[in-house]
Amino acid sequence: MASDLSTATSSTSTATRPARSGPVRAHKLLQLNWLGGMAGWLWLAIVLIPLYWIVVTSFKDQSAYFTQNPFALPSAPTMTNYKLVIESDFPRYFLNSVIVTAGTIIPAVGISFMAAYAIIRGAGSRFLAGVNGLFLMGLAIPLQATIIPVYLLIIKMHLYDSLLALILPSIAFSIPLSVLVLTNFIRDVPKELFESMRVDGATEWGMMRTLAFPLTRPALVTVSIYNGLAVWNGFLLPLILTQSPDKRTLPLALWTFQGQYSVNVPAVLASVVLTTLPIVILYAVSRRQLLSGLTAGFSR
Amino acid sequence: MTTSIPSPPHQPRSSRRNFLGLVGGGALAAGLAACGSSGPKSTPGSTAGAAAGTGSTYWFLTGQPQQAIREAQVKRFNDANSGSKFKTTEFQNDAFKAKIKTAIGAGQGPTLIWGWGGGGLKAYVDAGQVEDLTDFFGQNATLKDSIFPSAFGAATVSGKVYAMAVETVTPIVLFYDKRAFEKIGAEPPQSWGDIMDLVPKFNDKGIAPFSLGGQSRWTNMMWLEFLFDRIGGSEVFQNIFEGKANGWSDPSALKALDEMQKLIKANGFIKGFSSITADSNADQALLYTGKAAMMLHGAWTYGNMKSSGKDFVTGGHLGYMNFPPVDGGKGDPSDTVGNPGQYLSISSKAGQADKDNAKKFLANNTLDDASVDAWVKSGNISVAKSSKDRLSSITDKNDSEWLNFVYDTSANAKTFAQSWDQALSPTQAETLLDNIAKLFQLSISPQQFADSMNAVIGQ
Amino acid sequence: MSGAGSSRVGRSGPVAWMVLPALAMFILFGVVPLVGVLALSFTQWDGLGPISAAGLSNWRTVLTDPALPHSVLVTFEIMILSWAVQTPMSLLLGTFLAGRQRYRAFLAVLYFIPLLLSSAAIAITYKALLDPNFGLGPGLHLGFLTQDWLGKSNLAIGVVIFIVSWQFIPFHSLIYQGGVRQIPTTMYEAASIDGAGRMRQFFSITVPQLKYTIITSSTLMVVGSLTFFDLIFVLTAGGPGDATRVLALDMYKRGFMSNQMGPASVIAVFLVLLGLALALLLRRLGGSTTASQQEGA
Repeated sequence: MASDLSTATSSTSTATRPARSGPVRAHKLLQLNWLGGMAGWLWLAIVLIPLYWIVVTSFKDQSAYFTQNPFALPSAPTMTNYKLVIESDFPRYFLNSVIVTAGTIIPAVGISFMAAYAIIRGAGSRFLAGVNGLFLMGLAIPLQATIIPVYLLIIKMHLYDSLLALILPSIAFSIPLSVLVLTNFIRDVPKELFESMRVDGATEWGMMRTLAFPLTRPALVTVSIYNGLAVWNGFLLPLILTQSPDKRTLPLALWTFQGQYSVNVPAVLASVVLTTLPIVILYAVSRRQLLSGLTAGFSR
Repeated sequence: MTTSIPSPPHQPRSSRRNFLGLVGGGALAAGLAACGSSGPKSTPGSTAGAAAGTGSTYWFLTGQPQQAIREAQVKRFNDANSGSKFKTTEFQNDAFKAKIKTAIGAGQGPTLIWGWGGGGLKAYVDAGQVEDLTDFFGQNATLKDSIFPSAFGAATVSGKVYAMAVETVTPIVLFYDKRAFEKIGAEPPQSWGDIMDLVPKFNDKGIAPFSLGGQSRWTNMMWLEFLFDRIGGSEVFQNIFEGKANGWSDPSALKALDEMQKLIKANGFIKGFSSITADSNADQALLYTGKAAMMLHGAWTYGNMKSSGKDFVTGGHLGYMNFPPVDGGKGDPSDTVGNPGQYLSISSKAGQADKDNAKKFLANNTLDDASVDAWVKSGNISVAKSSKDRLSSITDKNDSEWLNFVYDTSANAKTFAQSWDQALSPTQAETLLDNIAKLFQLSISPQQFADSMNAVIGQ
Repeated sequence: MSGAGSSRVGRSGPVAWMVLPALAMFILFGVVPLVGVLALSFTQWDGLGPISAAGLSNWRTVLTDPALPHSVLVTFEIMILSWAVQTPMSLLLGTFLAGRQRYRAFLAVLYFIPLLLSSAAIAITYKALLDPNFGLGPGLHLGFLTQDWLGKSNLAIGVVIFIVSWQFIPFHSLIYQGGVRQIPTTMYEAASIDGAGRMRQFFSITVPQLKYTIITSSTLMVVGSLTFFDLIFVLTAGGPGDATRVLALDMYKRGFMSNQMGPASVIAVFLVLLGLALALLLRRLGGSTTASQQEGA
């Protein structure tokens, strides 16, 4: 049954025959899943309780916040918090976050992929092995330590207080981990496939695009999400490298409701709800693609 | 960044240029030259670098009502000085601390530097980053006299004044719930001994004697500030502040630490206090929802308790007093601790025009009538002595009583000590807060506390 | 230039140039600042004034400071425990979600939400939920949930691990979902025919087939947790005392809060070396062999 084609093309193996119809596979998995099912429902409760609290509290007034049971629905629901958030420029923060995140991930994953490809394909070269080692060293560079030198660099480059100031270092910081994960995946592409394409006259660049790229999709998706989230939630870089309110990103938007001595919790939560909702919708809509990206295999 | 940074006297060798040389090393030179052509993507009129002459800037904290009052001040100035306006930027507390440090360190700080005075200010002074304002006050004697004298302490380093006290005076006050005392049929404590006696009485009734937002640590610190003062007098901390060796091992200090742990062991604080945060106002909520009988906290909490506490304040249930004396203690019972003001300094790296601008702002707009009115209206006493005059015009009985109390406490205090974590250098302050947390968790002894703190005295 | 030469690799064209963009970015914003940090570790600087040379004194101070081994211990504790919690949970959840029922798709969307929240938001939320008087315990009237969560050392560590897991399990379960879907049903069918039960199938088929997924997911977890900072900073600030003071937090406190950039830089270098060691270890585990991992079916 195992043919050449079935030898692993990505890190996890794929069905050799086109996937047997959904119900059969689901049936098998369902049988395995009573434990998973229990875990699933328990986890659902654990996930939902804080989320419920966030939504419910965002409709409470700050002054009433302590005098009610934290899980009770608000006795006097108010939209004040949401109004506050919308009036304080949050759409701009959102847009900035999107620009910075997309502007980081696309180049970062792209050049990391190219680098990973080169490292694997050129495995005999000392230069490339050295580069690989260099990237490995970058895995645990703590941002809080290098932030000051990065800050000085950015100033020297006249990029202070721009979105580019956020994008460039973020790209650099995404590289080590991306290269690590991607090299692991590309390593699994069988040499024979490359060789057969070479015989047909393909260039390395061509092979990278038409062969390695589709096969490494799961890793690319994984790495994109991981880095994307890190950039999206990143706080220190925007804090230090930007200043004007119109360059701020979402994590900094929570400030508006944090004073010297106290935090306007309901308002902060309203801000959280508003900024998470669009992404949830985005995820819901694109989940199919996301998952299919994660399961790309040679047979597809 | 082309300004060179003159080294203050007595500072050895390297300057920032060397560091930049390191960072912008040879291999980069070419690359940077190419990148240098991309201009800053900032809005016109913004100050993407506070190099000489690029505009007057002022950074301060977010949070109402202070933010609105500051913005109003700047607006009044800008309206009157259209040629040289101030541009403001607001930051959240922790973010502000990180940002201002980085910016000043790189020569990108704002013209007007908002701060807490004390050790933080001293760090700026030592680094040559702030203007000496002694002459400024010499020339503006009326301005100087209009401010509470006690506010100048935190603005003075080595005998010279480097900052101006602005905004509010907020002492730490012992708040209590009158209804809780009625429940156990007792009077508010007149001494530390009374406090220890009251503890079991409240606990028996299911009321926590004291509310405390222990997770925030500086809330715990307020207790020690008072105990040190009441037991040993203000000299105890003064010695520590001046860096005298083994200042923390003073017998009064050790006694204070010991008494503190006694209170904790006697369940003087609400259960789980180390998980309660002050910045969500959970500790205040404990007081106004009747779960705790008393609370030691800053005067700034009055406003929140009034608005969130339903009828707690408006119904007259809130009581307040200065921290009681400790039997046999040497401290003056009128002493108080807290924030004698907030402080504005002028960056020494700013251009002359900006510095003059800043001085004008300080002289005309920070303690003008409109400002003092606004502060008093927001429920605070401003650092200007003239706050007193406003008090008679307050109509709300509760507010009037409260503000008179705050004024009298602040004005009559023999010593108004600054919060320790502001007064001490940042290095000491961090160690202090860490040790305080451990002390309150009962995981270290007073002696161990003293030893750890002695190790960093004067740093 | 070209990396060809070893017959093991086969003939490949010139590829080295492809590494250049990443290399350039990394050198500019990664290596250069790192060199800067290394240099700083030999200086005395409070972040405000001039920088002065300090030789090895920072290194001596930090390496002999008893707080350092403690921070390392805490870091590893959190790293290992959060791995131990997240991996099985994500594995189970991923398997569960790999089914194709429609409601599972809906659940998957809900599960994903924690991942999208910023660390600050999560920290604020949990600080409120863990309040012993106004939080989860009193709210749901569940006594065992009313603890001194952030005030007792071991509870605080547990809380950190829980919250990290809450935030990141969705991510890892997504990875495992993808992985599980790729396991050929033929293997399960063959095993059933041979009489293997559900549990047996899970452990003999699912888990081994997911080996590389596990390694990828674990790498992300482990490496990520080394520089973990935001959440812990806002939630506990390293407390109570120093119970949750991981290395990155220790470094930030020394540098930005105590104004001691020199010692902070020492810890930074230390972190980098630690990360490197871990990465090499992981690479060994991940197998630097080029062998494929599917056994013949």
